[in-house]
Amino acid sequence: MKSESGNVRRLKLARLFLANHLTYFLARLALGPLGRRLRSYQKVAVRGILSELHAAFSGEKPVILASAFVPTELIYGLGAIPVLPEVWSGFAAAAGFSAPAVTASEGSGYSQDLCSFHRCSLGLENLELLPKPAAVIVSSHLCDGGRCSLYRHSRSFGCPFYVLDVPYAATPDGVAWLAHQLERVAQDLVLKVPGLSLAGLPKALAAANRARSEYLAVCRLRRNQPAPWAGSEALNYVAVFLSGWGSPWLPEFYAQLRTHLEETIRLGAFPVSDERHRLLWLNLRPYYSSSIFRYLEKECNTSIAFEEYSHLYWPPHRPDAWAESLAAKLLSHFGWGPIERRLETIWNLVQEYGIDGVVQFNQWGCRQSNGGGRFLADFLRERGVPFLELAGDGVDGRSSGTAQQLTRIAAFVELLDARNTPSPARGTKAIPR
Amino acid sequence: MLVAGIDSGSTATKVVLLANGQVGATYTAATGADPQRAATRCLEAALAQAGAPADAVKAVVATGYGRERVSQADRTLTEITCHARGAHALVPEARTVIDIGGQDSKVIRLDDAGLLLDFVMNDKCAAGTGRFLEVMANRLELDLDSFGEEWLGAKEAAKVSSTCTVFAESEVIGLIAAGIPRPAIIRGLCEAVAARVASMARRVGLVPTVVFTGGVSLNAGVRRSLEKLIGQEIVVPPLSQFMGAYGAALFAQDLAREKAEAAGVSR
Repeated sequence: MKSESGNVRRLKLARLFLANHLTYFLARLALGPLGRRLRSYQKVAVRGILSELHAAFSGEKPVILASAFVPTELIYGLGAIPVLPEVWSGFAAAAGFSAPAVTASEGSGYSQDLCSFHRCSLGLENLELLPKPAAVIVSSHLCDGGRCSLYRHSRSFGCPFYVLDVPYAATPDGVAWLAHQLERVAQDLVLKVPGLSLAGLPKALAAANRARSEYLAVCRLRRNQPAPWAGSEALNYVAVFLSGWGSPWLPEFYAQLRTHLEETIRLGAFPVSDERHRLLWLNLRPYYSSSIFRYLEKECNTSIAFEEYSHLYWPPHRPDAWAESLAAKLLSHFGWGPIERRLETIWNLVQEYGIDGVVQFNQWGCRQSNGGGRFLADFLRERGVPFLELAGDGVDGRSSGTAQQLTRIAAFVELLDARNTPSPARGTKAIPR
Repeated sequence: MLVAGIDSGSTATKVVLLANGQVGATYTAATGADPQRAATRCLEAALAQAGAPADAVKAVVATGYGRERVSQADRTLTEITCHARGAHALVPEARTVIDIGGQDSKVIRLDDAGLLLDFVMNDKCAAGTGRFLEVMANRLELDLDSFGEEWLGAKEAAKVSSTCTVFAESEVIGLIAAGIPRPAIIRGLCEAVAARVASMARRVGLVPTVVFTGGVSLNAGVRRSLEKLIGQEIVVPPLSQFMGAYGAALFAQDLAREKAEAAGVSR
């Protein structure tokens, strides 16, 4: 935990760095010699994110703020930079800025009952750590708090605000209704925001399709036992999974990741030695602390083999029908619609990734998906898969007890140890080697 | 063969010595600010009670929040696993274990073989724990041991709506000021704790036989309130307060046997 004066100094520095061209120049330069410590896929991500930050803070390209499940292909395709405030809250937590940001938003009148991801992003705005957006787009599904929180951003910055009203049912009528809205939003943005055009949309969707193919190969490799990629790192890259689709660098990122995983399997250099158990992680992670993941991976030889939020759920795009494709993506989310849809998805993941136990991180911050916990517990219990609901906050470290979380995790691993037999899911599907 | 189980709890440290599978000695003392010192003191006192030297102990397993601070431990395990093992050893028909300690409460489900099936723990705060009762006993200027007797003396329970320790204490102050009889307040407090724990228990499924362990299991008021709420008889086994340490001692016994077997093989 940083002191107040330390926080003020670090925030001033962060503002200074983000707004300065020299920062990006030096950072790119440093990626050469210092980059040797980074893996190839990590370098691609760092380069991509740096160039977007530069473009966003220098005003080189318009910025569009979007809620977490708005398809970013739309924003890249229009020629803008997507900034997802929820994702930025995760970055802020990892960088140690979430506590001052959350405190700042609470100080400006937001209740502690509001989602901590949104409290954090509103605080980042107060602290001038968000780039000035040209527009804000939210989707009405999967997140209750986002609509009003992001509307606040649009009011503060005086920019247009759009809501994509996602119907509950994924019917052809639903796709048409949503596609129509996407077209209207895109056309309005082109009229109101200088520098945007519809011309880049097919290209963005084609890039997303290329990334998709590479990503599916990554997923196949992640079925390997032992797990070739540490789940603690994979959970960090959920940020890229949420915000990178449609970017020109995402296909290369996943291609490099695929090569890295192939190499890891070939060399047998697995991140978790003597893998004892394989977990499926549901929902997000606490971004301000890595203690539980270090404990799982290093002390308990337990891998997070896959994460719910890393699951690719949409069909390939048709670049010639961008609006319908993006509507289909929005409607394909397994968390939208009846709970059975999510349960079926989780069961498929349990089988595909040879999972021994499932951990749901019950995010106090927004409580998104916590409501389904009871269904999930019953569903998995009936199938003989141990399930742990781990309560905590994703970004607000002030209200989470790591010691308590560690006890629960340790007990869960002991529960898996006590069974000493693979779960029914293990070995039911051939695992590609 | 002498082995030890040490439960370094948030409020109290408990030690159980097993001599050839039988309980040789038990000892408990406040954990205080130094779990290591408390564990050493309790272990020494238990050894003195058993009349055994320290080097006679063949294996030590530590559990509880301070388990990683116990330097004597050959192995550490969570209190969930240890309470399950201990409860099943003493009550083989146990399928649900309710453990209420100083800082947390938990409900553990066991299968027929005594293996962990599921568990749930209290979140965030001290509601439904021994600490909650301690604070209230302090406010009522009463010994915790007398809660059972006071509970029996209550015609009805005062309504204590909050399970937050700080807010509930304010409520108790209000009830005292309103002239509510002390037994009624105590019964209300016991019911508040029981309601909290019963709802946790329902989450993992309340399968009989239900065993009650941890320091609060000695509180007859909470036990009676729980029985009333869940509609089942609750078994409070001997050593209920020492169950974590007893379970740890059983694991220590396994460990000592493994060590002996390994030594035999290497010879």
